[in-house]
Amino acid sequence: MTLRECYDSFGGNYEEVLSRLMDDKRVQRFAFKFLDDTNFETLCECLKNGNYEDAFRAAHTIKGLCLNLGFERLRVSSDELTEALRNGKSDGAEELLEKVRADYIEVITALKEYQEQLPG
Amino acid sequence: MRNTVLIVDDAELNREILAEILGNEYNIMLAEDGKVALQILESNHEDIAVLLLDLNMPEIDGFDVLKEMQRRDLMNRIPVLIISGETSLNVERKCFEYNISDFIRKPFDNTLVRRRVNNIVKLFQYQNELEDTVSMQTKELREQYQLLKKQAEKLHKRNTDIIDILGTVVEYRDFESGEHVMRVKGFTKILAQEIPKDYPEYGLTDEIIEVIVSASATHDIGKIAIPDNILLKPGRLTDEEFACMKSHTTRGSEILNNIKYIWDEEYAQVSYDICRHHHERYDGKGYPDGLAGEDIPIAAQIVSIADVYDALVSERVYKKAFSKDEAFQMIINGKCGVFSPKLLKCFSRVKKEFEELADRYSTSGSAQQVYENNCE
Repeated sequence: MTLRECYDSFGGNYEEVLSRLMDDKRVQRFAFKFLDDTNFETLCECLKNGNYEDAFRAAHTIKGLCLNLGFERLRVSSDELTEALRNGKSDGAEELLEKVRADYIEVITALKEYQEQLPG
Repeated sequence: MRNTVLIVDDAELNREILAEILGNEYNIMLAEDGKVALQILESNHEDIAVLLLDLNMPEIDGFDVLKEMQRRDLMNRIPVLIISGETSLNVERKCFEYNISDFIRKPFDNTLVRRRVNNIVKLFQYQNELEDTVSMQTKELREQYQLLKKQAEKLHKRNTDIIDILGTVVEYRDFESGEHVMRVKGFTKILAQEIPKDYPEYGLTDEIIEVIVSASATHDIGKIAIPDNILLKPGRLTDEEFACMKSHTTRGSEILNNIKYIWDEEYAQVSYDICRHHHERYDGKGYPDGLAGEDIPIAAQIVSIADVYDALVSERVYKKAFSKDEAFQMIINGKCGVFSPKLLKCFSRVKKEFEELADRYSTSGSAQQVYENNCE
């Protein structure tokens, strides 16, 4: 599996991110960094505790990372959630979280698979 | 030179992407939140060429950093580029109200980020250099001004030195006490300072009065060209001798004319006026030119009153000193020639000050010639 195929599998835009970062090794390195990011856990935690301000910030950060990494599908869902949390919690936030969760798991799973099959 | 980029973003991944994009050209400093950013700004603000600032951060966010930078007056020295995933135009407008330099939206584009950072760094470098240059030039100008001021003071001292030398020469030649010169100076000052209160038309500023007072010391410089047997003759002069005596005004003005290039024009002119015209009278009956009224330079008009007054109140071998009150009356009543009514009005107002000055000096000096030549 190539990184491009990996991107395709979770609705990412590999061409776009490559044109911005200009180097496929660089794209790969930053994409793997996303595996270490804890903002999704923070998001779930904060929503559960009713801490909508920090939930908003975590969603916003996930959206920013997706923008930079070209994770288009997750970018769209996290963006919707961000706007739903901008002024406290609004209706539909739970559903949007589930959408984000699904897209997020898809990204993480694909990246891990891709990482494991790399030589060395 | 400033060559450090400070990257402030709470997401490590974002910091790393930017650090990688800019790491070849700049030193990189990283801050994971606003608090660390402000600490770095505190200790390293001289090195920071540009600040890349995220808005959404826990605790101290991007806006708090902007507020604090504004408070520390850093916004004009360090350019701020906002890096944000924020798409709202209101947020962007709010940032520009803080005087940020640019707003870069995520995602980061390698080339565009580099170009925008380079542009803004160059612009601020140019602006900072310009400010440094201007402040250096201002400093140089100030130094040159100080030098000019010092030279002007030197020149001023030179002018007054020349006058004092000329005044001293007369004293020795005439055996007049230096006190006559000193007293005439004092009377001149008292009278001159009274004039602008009622008669601003003479244009007597403090500076001009200073020149007139100083130049009054030369009023009798022409006497060095009068032969001893006339200058020092006791008793009345013959008509012929008196004519020679009167020539001290024209001879004196010639002497001053010959040295006019060695000193300041204003001093030269005022000294010349005083020297030549301090025996002119308001009705045109004085000498050497028979000038009348306001054709007589104001400096000469003032010194002539001062000169006559001192002659009257001074004692000589052949005459007692007149009392101060007698002297005052003689001048007011035209016994020593006609003076300007305006000046006489001023003179009568400062009668007491003239008398106090006369008392302060010894009255044993000589004022013989002035008395004989001027008074009935």
